Amino acid sequence: MMDLKLWGCALLFPLQIFLCVLRAAVRFLLPPRRKDLGTDVVLVTGGGRGIGRHLAKEFAKQGAKKVILWGRTEKCLKETCEEISAAGTECHYFVCDVGNREEVYQQAKVVREKVGDVTILVNNAAVVHGKSLMNSDDDALLKTQHVNTLGQFWTTKAFLPRMLELCHGHVVCINSILSLSSIPGAIDYCTSKASAYAFMESLTLGLLDCPGVDCTTILPFHTDTEMFQGMRVRFPQLFPPLNPEMVAQRTVDAVRTNTAFVVLPWTMHFIVALKSLLPQSALEEIHKFAGSYTCMNTFKGRT
Amino acid sequence: MNIAAELLVVSFKVICSFVLAGAKWLVKPREKRVAGQVCVVTGAGSGLGRLFATEFARRRATLVLWDINREANEETAELVRDIYRETEPRRGSGDGVEDVPFYQPRVYTYVCDVSKRESVYSTAEKVRQEVGNVTFLINNAGVVSGHHLLECPDELIERTMMVNCHAHFWTTKAFLPKMLDLNHGHIVTVASSLGLFTTAGVEDYCASKFGAIGFHESLSHELKAANKDGIKMTLVCPFLVDTGMFQGCKIRKEIAPFFPPLKPEYCVEQAMRAILTNQPMVCTPRAMYVVNFMKTILPFDAIVCMYRFLGADKCMYPFLAHRKESTNNNESKI
Repeated sequence: MMDLKLWGCALLFPLQIFLCVLRAAVRFLLPPRRKDLGTDVVLVTGGGRGIGRHLAKEFAKQGAKKVILWGRTEKCLKETCEEISAAGTECHYFVCDVGNREEVYQQAKVVREKVGDVTILVNNAAVVHGKSLMNSDDDALLKTQHVNTLGQFWTTKAFLPRMLELCHGHVVCINSILSLSSIPGAIDYCTSKASAYAFMESLTLGLLDCPGVDCTTILPFHTDTEMFQGMRVRFPQLFPPLNPEMVAQRTVDAVRTNTAFVVLPWTMHFIVALKSLLPQSALEEIHKFAGSYTCMNTFKGRT
Repeated sequence: MNIAAELLVVSFKVICSFVLAGAKWLVKPREKRVAGQVCVVTGAGSGLGRLFATEFARRRATLVLWDINREANEETAELVRDIYRETEPRRGSGDGVEDVPFYQPRVYTYVCDVSKRESVYSTAEKVRQEVGNVTFLINNAGVVSGHHLLECPDELIERTMMVNCHAHFWTTKAFLPKMLDLNHGHIVTVASSLGLFTTAGVEDYCASKFGAIGFHESLSHELKAANKDGIKMTLVCPFLVDTGMFQGCKIRKEIAPFFPPLKPEYCVEQAMRAILTNQPMVCTPRAMYVVNFMKTILPFDAIVCMYRFLGADKCMYPFLAHRKESTNNNESKI
């Protein structure tokens, strides 16, 4: 009896996989149903500048009820907040460093009291030090881990329980393609982003049984913001830096269509697949050719 | 250089490395000598760390054992001393066991909490003074919290990240400079299959192991970019190992016979072969390479489908339940 069931499953398995691939292809061609954001309260960490700022604006534009911004610099937060409010969406901002656990929990409480339950949490805040291991400062290495990885644990722990109670919520993570394909010269960033990716993947698997609560992870290539200023790819015609507005648009779209993982641009799938297939020395040659060994030499981003 | 010419050269090199990899698969390359070289093993008091120590001892390397637990560490040291005595080369016996000049390796033990930066740096300084230059660094120490994310105390999440991931920063920073000077060394990262794919319920462990692999890869590219060919790196990704760390973890009953928990001895044997032949990465069992590749080409829905078929998506839930039960009965060690 047990054997029969196993054989049945084993035979069905390739078919299931095929169906999944087919469904993904159909989703790619036909526009799927998009959920309405009208009742959602969106919290964007690192919402003062860069991708976060565009994300906040995009969520407001696509009909979110309220937008909350978290960040470390009050000036940028205020500017973004005013911009969104002027466009007619309720917007609040709070100064909060997600790398600091107590501050996250405290500000989360303030948000709940002043604004209400957060239903879309966008973990976007990130920092980069952008040096090789031996040139990195210990505290800077740790800070990147605390903001980029542990910050997501704390924000998720702060807001996820309520989402589960309401059976309504979405955890979004703005990651980076560097989480799946590391480069030299940004060892702090690659480590933290790989951790953050695993966190989201594990969380996504765990939340599959929780109706109404979903996850989305965005893995963009180099995006044209001040964070990675000066980073130079070798073939900008082939792989131009992404526009932050486009990343924001695709993110909101992925949230509305409940897509779990989005790689931007999609050509990066090849690089990730190649990595799992090629011998290390071949991979190194390709990296060298593609210029990823030298792209961080000109880096002068904000740290 | 002309781009087209460069592309041609790169393609040729890629093909070459495939051929070379194939050749290595057919003709097993010679294992390198480690006799007399200094080897640091973190987390040497138990599990894989202890086995790594004994394997290196068998090859007559000088061992530096780090662990947070003094007694466990001393036990390992005792095992290592026994092996040194057993494998002592008899001069003139001529049976070809070892024909190196007579050298008596020693074992050193240090109590060190690798999650604490100062502790790592000060212990490393002691090692440098008392033992000498380190050639092998085995970053093996690892912990698991064993709680669901929302029930897990924050300190345990931090601890998992600090021991499994951030510790690699400090140990590597402590020993790498000398390796760079000499352009000679070997850094081994003992990660896990859960550093290549994830499963539900152990977010912190997966995050720390993915981080360790991200660190390992970035560092190996860094060394390559700096042309430090003498420093090798090996990534060890074992599937569930039967060390009691994940007691209770279960995949689907019918599939389980095909993926039995690994014997720690087998896992370390495979890892040692990879280390001594400078192989950049080793997954045990080999099926994990396939799972890893499938994961990169399939859409997420299909990956979930595959995990469910294997019963791997929730394989940690019984472990978490077991952990909870034993914590309630005050059996848990951490």
